Amino acid sequence: RTGFTAIKANIQARDTVRTTSILSFPYSLHRVNSEDTCCIIHHLLKFYVDMVFKHCETEDSWVNRKISSIANSFLSIKKNFRHCHQQSLCRCGEEATQKYKQILTNYSQLNVKNAAMKSLGELDILLDWMEKAY
Amino acid sequence: PARSAEQYCSLPPPMNIHFESSNMKNVLHWSPPEGVGDGVFYRVKYLVYGENKWIKKSECQNIDRTWCDLSSDTYDHEKQYYASVKAFLEGNCSSWAETERFNPLTDTQIDPPAVTVSSTEKSISIVLTAPEKWKRTPEDKSVPLVHIYSVLQYNVSVLNKKTNKKWWFSIKSNTLIVPRLESNTVYCISVQTHVRIPRLFSGFSEESCIATLKDPNAEHA
Repeated sequence: RTGFTAIKANIQARDTVRTTSILSFPYSLHRVNSEDTCCIIHHLLKFYVDMVFKHCETEDSWVNRKISSIANSFLSIKKNFRHCHQQSLCRCGEEATQKYKQILTNYSQLNVKNAAMKSLGELDILLDWMEKAY
Repeated sequence: PARSAEQYCSLPPPMNIHFESSNMKNVLHWSPPEGVGDGVFYRVKYLVYGENKWIKKSECQNIDRTWCDLSSDTYDHEKQYYASVKAFLEGNCSSWAETERFNPLTDTQIDPPAVTVSSTEKSISIVLTAPEKWKRTPEDKSVPLVHIYSVLQYNVSVLNKKTNKKWWFSIKSNTLIVPRLESNTVYCISVQTHVRIPRLFSGFSEESCIATLKDPNAEHA
């Protein structure tokens, strides 16, 4: 969280499309059912590692260092979550699957660089929800 | 004819546009455009991030003050917002000046708790009342911030005014009893609200001072 707070204004300023959201359209993560939480977090960790961080290189080395430290944190959380998924403690219901598909659709509406930067700028949305959910 | 808002504008834009937020009472502030005299007026609009329309703030159209209360418009703290201000002067206008993305949950300043103290001969008990989220109307149901932030605690300082010795306590509950104190002595308590996730700190409350009771045995000794 601290790493993101330090670069939040910088990253969000690069996202000039105010009227669409990757994570919050058509409805907020806060409306996800509690039993779907684990599945969505598992998917979103993978989404950020595979489809976001690697496309977020900037011209600012300090910002890049912050991004890679956030990415490393995600990698370690993702490892822990893989353990839950393997133990099938992380049930993926229909709604969770639909919500994740919608996120991928929202992402695909923009070119990769813009979609990745917008997703990174929405990290506080994800963290707010994860911190409340757990 | 009145200039349509979207036509060519050469006035410099309002400056330093930002939200000032306290317990999620969210007020937009800005400074006048550089180098312009009196007679400037402003129009304010805001947008819920991810929704595709800017909304005019009706109470803040053609105003000459440099703030606008958007608390009720940004009341849902699970969403994020942008706000924008345009300046007008003698038929001329500026471009829209825009805030950074505002997140009420992480970008608000929280208050210290209310502090109530009582004492016995050898101890002081402290009861804390959590700050509350801003309410749209006095009749609105109170929402203590402890219901919004799952990891909220209090940093309590207790100062012995005779010896100037100070203790610190970090507690999650809203009550604290400080035992084994000196009788007939003044102690001053000050408390800070500390949200650990996301990291938010209030200022310290004003000192609440109280004396421990006299020890009756000491008088007859």
